[in-house]
Amino acid sequence: MSTSNPGGTTRGKDTTVPETKASPLLSVEGLHVAYGRRKVVHDVGFTLARGGSLALIGESGSGKSTIAKAVLRLLQPAEATVDGSVRLAGTEVLSLAERQFRPLRGRQLGFIPQDPGSALNPVRSIGAQAHEAAALAGERDAAARRRMILEVFDQVGLPDPVRVYDSYPHQLSGGMLQRVLIALTVLPRPSLIVADEPTSALDVTVQKLILDLLGDLRKELDIGLLLITHDLAIAAERADTLVVLKDGAVHEQGPSAHVFAAPRTAYARDLQADVPALNPDRYRSQRPGGPRDELLDGTTADATTAERPAQIAVTKVTKSFRTRGKEVRAVDGVSFAVERGRTHALVGESGSGKTTAVRLLLGLEQPDSGSITVGGHATAGLSRAGLRDVRRHLQLVYQNPFTSLDPTWRVGRIIREPLDRFGVGSTADRADRVRDALQSVGLPADVVDRRPAQLSGGQRQRVAIARALVVRPDVVVLDEPTSALDVSVQAGILELLARLQRDLGLTYVFVSHNLALVRQVADTVSVLRRGQVVEHGTVDQVFDRPQHPYTRALLDAIPGTSGLALPAVAEASPEHDNIQKLAEAAL
Amino acid sequence: MTSGYGRFALARAGQAAVVVLLAYVLTFLVISVLPGDAITNSLRDPQSGLSEADIQRIVQYYGLDQPVLVQLALSLGRFLTGELGFSLQSNLPVAQIVGDALPSTLTLASTALAIAVVFAIGIAYGAHYAPPRWAGVLRSIPSFFLSVPNFVIGLVLIELFAFRLHAFTTTDPNSATATLFAAVTLAIPVSAPLAEVLIASLDHESRQEYALVARSRGLAETQLFARHLVKPSALPSVAMVALIMGELLGGSVITETIFGRDGIGTVVQKAVTGEDQPVLQAVVSLSAVVFVAVNLAADLLTPLLDPRVNVREEANA
Amino acid sequence: MSADLNFARLRSAGAASLRTRAGVPPTVLVSFLVVLVVVLWSLFPSLFTGYSPVNGDTGSKLDAPSLQHWFGTDYLGRDQYARVVYGTASSVTSALVAVAIGLLVGSAIGLASGFRGGWLDSTLGRLVDMLLAIPGFLLAVVIVSSLGFQTINAAIATGVSAVAVFARLMRAEVIRVRRSAFVEASYLEGGNRLQALLTHVLPNAYRSVLVLAVLQFGTSILVIASLAFLGYGDPPPSSDWGLLVASGKTYVTAPWLVYAPALVIVATVLSINRISRWLRNSK
Repeated sequence: MSTSNPGGTTRGKDTTVPETKASPLLSVEGLHVAYGRRKVVHDVGFTLARGGSLALIGESGSGKSTIAKAVLRLLQPAEATVDGSVRLAGTEVLSLAERQFRPLRGRQLGFIPQDPGSALNPVRSIGAQAHEAAALAGERDAAARRRMILEVFDQVGLPDPVRVYDSYPHQLSGGMLQRVLIALTVLPRPSLIVADEPTSALDVTVQKLILDLLGDLRKELDIGLLLITHDLAIAAERADTLVVLKDGAVHEQGPSAHVFAAPRTAYARDLQADVPALNPDRYRSQRPGGPRDELLDGTTADATTAERPAQIAVTKVTKSFRTRGKEVRAVDGVSFAVERGRTHALVGESGSGKTTAVRLLLGLEQPDSGSITVGGHATAGLSRAGLRDVRRHLQLVYQNPFTSLDPTWRVGRIIREPLDRFGVGSTADRADRVRDALQSVGLPADVVDRRPAQLSGGQRQRVAIARALVVRPDVVVLDEPTSALDVSVQAGILELLARLQRDLGLTYVFVSHNLALVRQVADTVSVLRRGQVVEHGTVDQVFDRPQHPYTRALLDAIPGTSGLALPAVAEASPEHDNIQKLAEAAL
Repeated sequence: MTSGYGRFALARAGQAAVVVLLAYVLTFLVISVLPGDAITNSLRDPQSGLSEADIQRIVQYYGLDQPVLVQLALSLGRFLTGELGFSLQSNLPVAQIVGDALPSTLTLASTALAIAVVFAIGIAYGAHYAPPRWAGVLRSIPSFFLSVPNFVIGLVLIELFAFRLHAFTTTDPNSATATLFAAVTLAIPVSAPLAEVLIASLDHESRQEYALVARSRGLAETQLFARHLVKPSALPSVAMVALIMGELLGGSVITETIFGRDGIGTVVQKAVTGEDQPVLQAVVSLSAVVFVAVNLAADLLTPLLDPRVNVREEANA
Repeated sequence: MSADLNFARLRSAGAASLRTRAGVPPTVLVSFLVVLVVVLWSLFPSLFTGYSPVNGDTGSKLDAPSLQHWFGTDYLGRDQYARVVYGTASSVTSALVAVAIGLLVGSAIGLASGFRGGWLDSTLGRLVDMLLAIPGFLLAVVIVSSLGFQTINAAIATGVSAVAVFARLMRAEVIRVRRSAFVEASYLEGGNRLQALLTHVLPNAYRSVLVLAVLQFGTSILVIASLAFLGYGDPPPSSDWGLLVASGKTYVTAPWLVYAPALVIVATVLSINRISRWLRNSK
């Protein structure tokens, strides 16, 4: 096996598909896949050099995972028909008998799946499953296999490998499980690893660590990588070559730097524009208010507060839960204030307490101590009727529009529900207001007779927004409103939210794990970690001069801000200038 | 962990005891309260051959001249000390009647259970790994098994194997062959839900990502089945064991009648026709004890078999 | 400007997610046909046979099936087909009664248990455990022996023994729905618990319970036939399906007396099970 410079052959000014040696590591030609009569992959072809890396990028339904499974021959013949050619180091694998292909599995061709939580058998110990991988490396002696396993666990940075070896999957965190899976995949030294969204189920900081680990191991062991992802920034940062997929066909492909910095097709340009980290000011023009310096700032807090009374004030709120006999402080002395008509972001990873903070704000939980006022009224200790009055002015948009709308109701009734419950207006008024709400979220009037299942994810989230707005609240809490949606749909929703805020003077509390997104949409931000606010201030302060090491770690973890992308993209420069600079920087 | 498991086991055992007592009370109320004075009617029946002194003794023993709640207390008190009373028909101790009938039913039920498990595993394995055409046929078998009444299966087996093929005779119902066919009769409806659960969980598990990952590691389908899929697929059926015991006990009434076997089922039938309440009460409460005990065993076993189950949470639930 | 473009994208994505309604599989159509025939038999038996189910022709005892007598005749020369047809009403109605009891009582218990939670849930939970602890068929036998040997009592007994199954499923479904985001959302929109229960929880929970009810309808036909087979239903000359099999089994030389009603039972229950499965999968 030759040891070519990783990806060396794919770099260069030439934008055509690069020439490679006689037998590249992986070459896919004319690949077609159909589930029954539904064709999901059309005529896909790409080449990956030995030791190189290639990313398949696309949104849901683009066929990227199907291509990965076709390469790995993991599609069941009963459900999918695969045509075309997939050559692994010159050997055609699609036509190979299963008996001849099986020795290649694991040994030549490794697989890292999307969700580490479900990728290991829950009722067998990690060690027992690791032996299967170690056996692929050809070691027959069980004690020697165990040594190999512990060694590779150590190599991937798992603390206390013996404990991991004896654990069951549910006893480890997602990040640790993904390390275990990477360890098991690299153990037999395959020449190609297929990683299907290897980090999308993980927190951002963990995501970066895992991707770094994968990159280091790959270089060290000279392993080729086929990366499947929906995230253009991750793809550009981690792969030499990008293949942009849409509706099962290749839309654009070429060296990462080219595709990322100067996309040739409209679709790739859209994808690029939709990466939040690259366009921090994307929604600036649609948002209310002037330049950011006018905003509430730590030093001038008193003056501005006097000018604009806080719409929401959360002061030293604490909430504990008892789980498994232990007392856990989900929210620990959290304070923040939001001005009328502004957007405040609560940022944190899982377990940071941001969800509990939102539930406290909405009165779904009662704080153990501290006070919360919305529009000057305290929410703690209110009767049901009192809480109802507060909620009329305080609405929530849930993270997942697939679970927040009753599947048995029609859209018209869903949006009308708050009007009916709060007894707003006459029947005719309500119908008018539903129509207005639909119009303002950009949905046609005829969706009122549809059920949620007949709508796409983005449309459902628009319905959820319409439901929140129909009672004309002052404050809307947005709980990760776009994280269940594709990037391009996300952009549409964020534009809509910005416009509505400007038109209706809404105050937003925006909950997110995604710092890049927060920079685009928020005025002020609180960074939460383990129930405490570790840093707060205006977006510019926090992003440009982070004080707390955790904030810095979060910022570093934003894909697209290191390597290829430009951290110093001038805020005012128009988009095409950005692209120009990106291209220059990349080349 | 151990103390957590101990607490969990104690809590479950306590619940089980409560359920047995409740079931006893329910049976007693259903039998004694609903229609008027069946017990004394059958005593006064001249055909019962009981003398006035016998009758007085029985009335005294069961407290029949006292309010129902007192009767219940008397009866429950005896049940708790292990005393099951006397049959109204034969004047024999109920414990003796049940004891005599038990071995036959145990043989039948355990044979049936073994056959049902074999059937279910065979159907589920075939439904998963047989060529598609056969797999489809196998998948529809549980539904078919669930649609045929027990007594029809028994009559068809007797008609075919006893009357036409002379594999066994109905005059010797306790022969090995006759027992086997009776057990098959009982096993078929029992195997159906078991096979359905096995098929469903095998389908579910083999679609999990870990199965995909194991396959990508080069495991052959048989290895995947043996090493990865069997255990998680079998776990849901552990919870079904108690349900199956109930099916076996209920089904034995019909099966024993058709095959002419003497067992618990026949005892129940005789007690029903003869309005022999103490016998009925004893058999029903004892089957509740068996049911609850098996259920308890399955509950206590699950955390030991399935590392995911957290006993602390379970104990608090 | 680009809002329109995004919207067009949303629209196309929405169209893609619209599910094409699959046709009804042929086996399900046949099943519906069988059930339709059974329903018609029970409503208008005289339209399907000219023979009397009670009075026979003593000249043609134990005749084999023929064009005149599709299912043959019994020991009194009565047309077995007529007896099956006239026995349908009682066999089917009693199964309906049983399902109705199980469904109403069980759902009420499950609903209260799952929605209210707390002490009510644990109390009702023990009650359901108690019902489950006695093997279903034994419980039915005990109840019917207490109430008296009649088909309607067999139906009540079967219904009571099915209460626990319905209660368990309803409770599980209610708890599942109660925890979903749209129920919480309805509180935020000013709804109260009763409104949430009636407008969100019930409509989302009842479907699987209805599927169970269909399945239980088939099971009840079997249980009631078994009780009738043991002689715990209406006595002859009524002709419940189970009773027909029981009285037929004494005539070894005339197996059609057993097979004809047995086939009717199997075909009916199989069809109902098929429909139930179809409903479950097309949910």
